[in-house]
Order: sequence, then structure tokens, then C-alpha cells
Amino acid sequence: MAEFKYSMPRYFEKMDDLGKPLKKVNQKNMDALKAIEAELDERVAAIKAHGKPDEKVHASGEWTAWERLEYLVEPGSWCPLHTLYNPNDNKELSTAVVDGLGKISGKWAVVIASNNKETAGAWIPGQADNILRVTDIAKRLRIPLVWVLNCSGVSLNRQEWVYPNRRGGGTPFYRHNELEQAGIPVLVGIYGTNPAGGGYHSISPTILIAHKDANMAVGGAGIVGGMNPKGYIDDEVAQSIIETTRGFKSVPPGRVAIHHDVTGFFREVGQTEEEVLDYLKQYMAIQPAYGKEFFRVAPPAEPKFPGEDLYSIIPENQKRSYDMYEVLARLFDNSEHYEYKPDYGPEIYTGIAKISGFVCGFVANHSGVIYDYPEYRHDVPAGIGGKLYRQGLTKMSEFITLCNRDKIPCIWIQDTTGIDVGDVAEKAELLGLGQSLIYSIQNTDVPSLEITLRKGSAAAHYVMGGPQGNDTNAFSIGTAATEIYVMHGETAANAMYSRRLVKDADAGVPLEGTIAKMNELIQQYHTNSRPNLCAKLGLVDEIVKMPDLRKYIVAFVEAAYQNPKSICPIHQMLLPRVIKDHMDVYVNHSTDRELAAKEAAEKAAE
Amino acid sequence: MAVVEAPMAGKVLEIEVAVGDTIAEDDEIIVLEAMKMENQIFSTEGGTVKAILVKEGDQVAEGQALIEVE
Repeated sequence: MAEFKYSMPRYFEKMDDLGKPLKKVNQKNMDALKAIEAELDERVAAIKAHGKPDEKVHASGEWTAWERLEYLVEPGSWCPLHTLYNPNDNKELSTAVVDGLGKISGKWAVVIASNNKETAGAWIPGQADNILRVTDIAKRLRIPLVWVLNCSGVSLNRQEWVYPNRRGGGTPFYRHNELEQAGIPVLVGIYGTNPAGGGYHSISPTILIAHKDANMAVGGAGIVGGMNPKGYIDDEVAQSIIETTRGFKSVPPGRVAIHHDVTGFFREVGQTEEEVLDYLKQYMAIQPAYGKEFFRVAPPAEPKFPGEDLYSIIPENQKRSYDMYEVLARLFDNSEHYEYKPDYGPEIYTGIAKISGFVCGFVANHSGVIYDYPEYRHDVPAGIGGKLYRQGLTKMSEFITLCNRDKIPCIWIQDTTGIDVGDVAEKAELLGLGQSLIYSIQNTDVPSLEITLRKGSAAAHYVMGGPQGNDTNAFSIGTAATEIYVMHGETAANAMYSRRLVKDADAGVPLEGTIAKMNELIQQYHTNSRPNLCAKLGLVDEIVKMPDLRKYIVAFVEAAYQNPKSICPIHQMLLPRVIKDHMDVYVNHSTDRELAAKEAAEKAAE
Repeated sequence: MAVVEAPMAGKVLEIEVAVGDTIAEDDEIIVLEAMKMENQIFSTEGGTVKAILVKEGDQVAEGQALIEVE
């Protein structure tokens, strides 16, 4: 058969060029960003090294979670998520699951593996929330969830943190069912002993594949004694436990002999570590997925400029301005795009570009001074990129509404200091327009990705597609330059201590005490907003190296188009036409009518 | 001879060029602190830098000449 052709090539074959080659490497900036990345790499290495040594895992005939994933996921496709997520500050340095986006048998999946180096993959604090983040991604992107399970159940000495609660250990089981109800399959490869909670982790997916030595059960073999009437342990009870335990023959319930041979819950049994994973690959090959060419508008292409340039373009110094167009030129296929209304809301970029040959919407903050702006105030000489004004807020709402109309997934790139403030801004309805943007996004049903490229601040972090601001966000990533806080530390110190300063001054008290407190708060804001904390607390789902941003964007876009909920035929899309007409009519004055009139005028002049 | 002017009032933080440098239009020449941001100022002219008319730490007015280019 001939190769595939594309619809509407005049819109998508060649879009507008963006970006220039980097003039010179900014070594100082690159070193600063890479130093932060290196520090995070060390933390990742510490997590991998923690717990049972790899040799001990191997000696018991098992692979580690990372080794299993390496065999399962296609080389080069793995985009780890939640690597440093550890909101409860566990001694394990993580939540003892390893997850991310990866391709298996040519199809994208959300993949999660129990870290069998830590208490045989037990539930520890924060793990349930990590799992819910993962089921949310599968739900939003409508791609299969693949478990590599090895879960010994509740970490008993921390049960109150893991077993109960609204978002506790049991929640993932109905979330698995929720995915299944929505037509999103959940596959599981089961290793080791999976009692109680581990048993429900095993049984709740759609297809169950077991290792020959695996088991899953309502309760574990470890529960040998149960309760005694005394309600406490004394010597007599201890002797009785010793006797019972010695006489106990340790064959855990629910092994392959029961759940394959009798109940048939296990669809397949793998005889080796890799055979379980081979079965997962086999079942991934029959998962729902459109061929990529079905939705593509052009062949995939890399950007014209290297991602490594981002180390020179994005200043680590949060006060330094830069050119967002140059960032985008390093993310888009062939560094091409169509910008939506560049003449309106100039603090915000909105536009469409190709990613791996698919159409994707982008919203981003511009940086630097915007002269004679915003239009609703004359008390300031200029606007500042990163702030949101009336036009930008309105433009984002329009843009995301059109993306939804055309079923185009959307990526939000934040470097924002917040929405404009003051009575002038209130008169200009910014509070209302900010909430309107949340409403607009919430009215959409296309998946989104949020990248906190540098600053995520104030309500702007919510309204610009932030993970807490809507239900379309699949996940969110940050970089070595990321800072997330409700306001800058200096502003916060001012807000908290300005009255105290006045009181001190009026009372003739030395100011040093309050000044020290203010500087302490500024330092605290700085420390607690940095990439490591953002990753640890889950403010972003992963801190990504600058040149890898494009890799995560490609994974998101390809996943979003793998099995979308609804389809807009490319020739029925509105957004490319709105962009073209706005540029022709209002910006370039290049309609046929205007060009013909110009030509006629030139001829007459001759 | 042409001059590159400050597009806004602010404080000169860094000067990125030296006399004798060959620069192109749109090359970064100065970092100007204004409105709490450190703004990159780009040359509006291409050529050889003949003179630098400000020094780091100077407060400049909008429209003030920053460098001379030939």
C-alpha cells in the first residue's frame, strides 16, 4: 500500500518558522542549572541504592523493579514520574513504587512497579496518593495502566498512615474499576507474596498474569495466631505463639495451584521473571490504539535547534528576562507553529504546533517588558511578562475553548508571577476573568500537561492549567529553574511583618529582631519552593532535565492521541482557520481583496 | 555612526559588549533592571561598538544613549 497522506496540507505541511540559532552558550547559567539537576540525580541514585541490596534480590531469584521495567518498556521511551515523591518523609526516601509513562509493544501505557527492595513492596505512607496520581494519568490520557506488582500489603507499624482514610490504601481498587468502566484496561504482572491489600491490588485489574511462585489472597500466611482473650502478651501467650509458629507449615494461600488451576483468576502463568513481562507485552499488543498516522497532520520532525540550548536560554536567575519564542522553537516539530492572536494579550503566547506530527495547543507566559500595556491602566509605563492582564486571561479562555472544540490536547508552560492587582485590576475584572479561565478549562474534555518552566506563583499557577486548577491535567512537570510559591518570599515577608515594623518604629524598639524574622521567612520560602521540594511534595510530578522536556511533551501528545474519547475531523477544525483569518485580516492585511487593491493602487501610481 | 538608546528607565546591571566588538542587530548588549526585572536590552543596530556611554550601576532615563555603533 502507498504511504499515508495528510488532510489539509496547506495548513500543516509548512507552518510559520520560529526561533534563531543560539548566539552563544551561557556557561554560567548552564552550570547553575546543571548543578541543580546533578543534586537531584544524587537523590535518585540514593533511592535506587536504598533497601535490600540488588545482589540479595537477585539471590532470591528476583529482579528489582527497575530491572523489570527496563525489560518491559521500550528502550528510550521511559519518562519516569514521581521519582522523588515522598510527602511523608519516609525513611525509604520514596513511596516505594516506581512509575512513569513508557511504550510497550509500540503503545503508550502508564506503568507502575512495586519497589521490591523495600519491605517486599509494602504499602508505606504516601504510596496510595502516588498510585492515585498514576490512575489519574491513565484516566486522563485513556491509555492502559500496567502494574508490575510485588506488594506484601500494609507496612504494619505504620498502618494508620496507609490502611484507612479517604485517599488511603484501598482507594486504588475502585479507581481500577473506574478505569475499566471507562474502557481503559488495567494489566498486572504479579510477583511474590500479595496478601490482603496486595491481594486486592492483584485481583482488581482486568488481566492477571502471575509468576509461578506468586500468590494473592484475602489474608497472608503470617497471620498464624490471631487474637488471644487476654488482649496483651505475657510469657504464657508468647510460649503459645512460639509453639504455633513452629508447627506452622508456611504455604501461603492463593498460589498458582489455586488461582490458576482452580479459580482461573490468573489468565497466564510465567515460569521466569521475564516470561511474566513477555505476557504483559503480548497483552499490550492487543490494547486499543489508533495507528499514529490516523490523527497525524504531517510526518514527525525534530526541532531545528537542540534542546541543550535551553540551558543558555532559560535564566536560573528568576529576575532575568528571556525570549519564550526561543524556548518554544526548541520544543516544536521543525520549530514551526501558528500563533493565535499575537496582537492581543501580548503577555501570553497561545498557538498550535506539531509534536511528533500531531497538532497540539500551547499556552505560555512571555517574559520581559511590554510597552504601552495593559490598556486599562495609565499609572504604569509598561506591563511585565509573567503577569496576567485582562487581554491575556481572555485570550487563554478563548484559545482553550477552541482547542476543546477541535479536540486538540493542550500544554501550559508557566513562568508566572501572578495576576495584576489593585483596584484598577479589580475594575478590569481580573478576579472574574481568572475564575472564568478555570471555568473554561473545566468545560473542556481534552487532556492537558502543565510545565512549571520557572515560576509558578499565586492564583496564576492555578488558572494557567495547573494540576490543582482543573480536571483535565494529566500530569505536571518542572525543571531545575522551577519555583512554586503563593507569593515571592520578599512579598510574603512584607505582608506578614510590615505592621510589626511600624509598631517597632513607633515604640522606638530596634528593628533587628523583625528584620531577622523577615529574612528568615524569605530564606524559608526560597528553600521550600525549590525543585527538590516541588518533587518531594508532589507540587510537580517530576523534575525533568531541560533537554528532556521535549521527550515528555512527545510522550504526552502521542499518548493523548492513542485512544481519544472524541474526534474532530481535521478538515472540520476551527482553530487553524481562526488563526489564519485573524492574521490575514487584522495583522498582515494580506487578504485577496487587500492584496488586489494594493496591486491596483501600485499600477495606478505607475 | 548610530546610537542604541535605552527603551525604558532603569539601572544598568551588566554591560555585555566592549569597545571594538562586532555586533549584529538583536545581539544582547546590556542588562537593565527595571520594574523588578532584569531585562535584556538588544542592539537596534549592527556594526562595531565605538563607544560605551554608560557604566554598570548607572541610572538611565528612557531614550538615553547607551552605546555608539559604526
